[in-house]
Amino acid sequence: MSWAWFHKLGSPKWFFSWSKSWPLPVFCFGCFCLVIGLAWGLAFAPADYQQGNSFRIIYIHVPVAMLAQSCYLALGVSGFVFLVWQMKMAPIFIKAMAPIGAIMALIALVSGAIWGKPTWGTWWVWDARLTSVLVLFFLYMGIIALQNSLEDQVLANKAAAVISVVGLINLPIIKYSVVLLETLHQGPTFTLTKKPEMPAEMWLPLLFSVIGLYCFVAGVVLWRMQSEILIREHRSSWVKQEVMEHGL
Amino acid sequence: MTYSSFLVSEFLVLWRRKQDVFNALLFFIIVVALFPIGINSSPDFLAPAAAGIVWCAAVLAILMAVESMFKEDYRDGSLEQLVVSGLSLPLLILLKVVAQWLAVVLPLLVMMPLLSEMLYLPRSGFRVLIMTLLIGTPSLFFIGVIGAALTVSIKQGAMLVMLLILPFYLPVIIFSTLAIKAAQAGLPYSGLLAMLLAMSLMSLVISPFMTAIAVKASVN
Amino acid sequence: MQSSASLTISDLWIERGERDLCKGLSFSVQSGDVVRILGENGAGKSSLLKVIAGVLSPLEGQILYSGEDVTLDRNPLQQDAIYLGHSIGVKSLLTVAENLRWYCPDVSTSMLYSVLTQLGLIDQVDVPVKKLSAGQARRVALARLWLNKKTLWLLDEPFASLDVRGVALLEERIQQHVLLGGLVILTTHQDLLSIALRDVALLL
Repeated sequence: MSWAWFHKLGSPKWFFSWSKSWPLPVFCFGCFCLVIGLAWGLAFAPADYQQGNSFRIIYIHVPVAMLAQSCYLALGVSGFVFLVWQMKMAPIFIKAMAPIGAIMALIALVSGAIWGKPTWGTWWVWDARLTSVLVLFFLYMGIIALQNSLEDQVLANKAAAVISVVGLINLPIIKYSVVLLETLHQGPTFTLTKKPEMPAEMWLPLLFSVIGLYCFVAGVVLWRMQSEILIREHRSSWVKQEVMEHGL
Repeated sequence: MTYSSFLVSEFLVLWRRKQDVFNALLFFIIVVALFPIGINSSPDFLAPAAAGIVWCAAVLAILMAVESMFKEDYRDGSLEQLVVSGLSLPLLILLKVVAQWLAVVLPLLVMMPLLSEMLYLPRSGFRVLIMTLLIGTPSLFFIGVIGAALTVSIKQGAMLVMLLILPFYLPVIIFSTLAIKAAQAGLPYSGLLAMLLAMSLMSLVISPFMTAIAVKASVN
Repeated sequence: MQSSASLTISDLWIERGERDLCKGLSFSVQSGDVVRILGENGAGKSSLLKVIAGVLSPLEGQILYSGEDVTLDRNPLQQDAIYLGHSIGVKSLLTVAENLRWYCPDVSTSMLYSVLTQLGLIDQVDVPVKKLSAGQARRVALARLWLNKKTLWLLDEPFASLDVRGVALLEERIQQHVLLGGLVILTTHQDLLSIALRDVALLL
């Protein structure tokens, strides 16, 4: 297997020209799937026999929560890549991805709370999953705050990579400890870990919205990376040429 | 510079700055005192909550102490000298953390009998509280020192370190308080202590290298 | 101390913030040289010293020390070098003697006292550095140059905040060092009048 593509990832110029045609189709495809999934799920899928219509929020909550975790995994991996191979694209990716992940975690929290009100009777329950998403949100905010307060670019890159890697190592432990906390607490918590078997009309729209949201986020992150590349490389000749030829 | 001369100088500086350690301990006592005063001072509330109160206060006090660990060295250039000393930077950091741990945690342990009386912590829980503090706090230091090194170049970095590092402290707090509660209830707790020990050992292995990367990036 | 040390730098490129420094710089110096790095403010004099010392990493280029490639791992060079930066690395809470013991633990007390006498710090041996003046604190940092046996000296503005006597002492010490086969690289605005050896000026 050739590793050439991997080394090419170190060059922002290569990445920029390679990725130029990607974001728009990916983004549009994502939007398309998302619209289908959401419309299907919210309007046409049959209501749950236990939870009625309130279950429909899973078409937002589940994809968003999945994204929030996947984003952190991606951050940690790219942080590792940066620390080991000094790949220039990795910090750009982290910078582009962190706010998206934070927003996903926030939406997951809010939609979870909205779901919790009719289902559990309260907006908030110290349920293991909710708590770990809350911690995930804090981790994202930490990375963003750190990047914003460090003026020096080299230091900001290293710092974000270090904290992402440490976060990735810690995340399973945090998750495990939170689950442990919940199972040992004798509080009045409901756990909805066992999902009922879903009919196809229910999970197909879910699949659509999950795929749609992944593509949607991929498109947005690619765009953010491209603009970050332009900002960081604004002194280099290829950026000047690019702007002269194609405009902004 | 050698490892032993570095350690000696670290202890000397800690001794000259004993007021700082003293402040951290006072801060710890005040935070502990806030709970009986602010929530409920009856033994019914305090006895089961004592472990959590002590641990939350300890986490805050330790993070305050760790946060400023590199500040002075960064200002006077001795951090830079560590980088160019030709010695292993991760090992120097490890020694520094050990010195700091001894200076902060040992006095903390000495105060524990007094505090556990004030919080009506039962005898059965006290022994486990000491054990969790002994084997759990190293991981607090090792994780916190990464944040301290990352933010050393920022003037007002204390709040940022809190935001950055406190989420990582959650598992340590959870394992410790669960162990103490289990002991109070007469349940087995050795598994939880083993988890704490594992966390401390893991952070001992990983943190010096991460901190060294952060220090090198910060001093340039 | 190595009898014949050499430092070769080729095609260096340092990036600091938004600026390129020392782009394409190459030079080679050896034992017996006093290298003065000259240049305007912001030309990258301090950055060049930091790169050699291993505080900074260059974007590109190669660094050889006594024939060994130290571009990626500066350790062999650091074992044999002293770097004095803008911040002098003297701990203000420690006394003069404690500071020097930290850097040079193997030095004998009589040696330490004779150097401190020479530098006019003998009355301050047990005074914490925070009570000394800026010039005196500087002398404490410079005392390492008398107490160590390292070959390569990387000195960033070593004459700053020194009085006339201090400057003369340091110049004398530098001369002595290169006569014995040392290699000194420094940034300064001062003409080194008393040094009559091979004095290489490197203009950035």
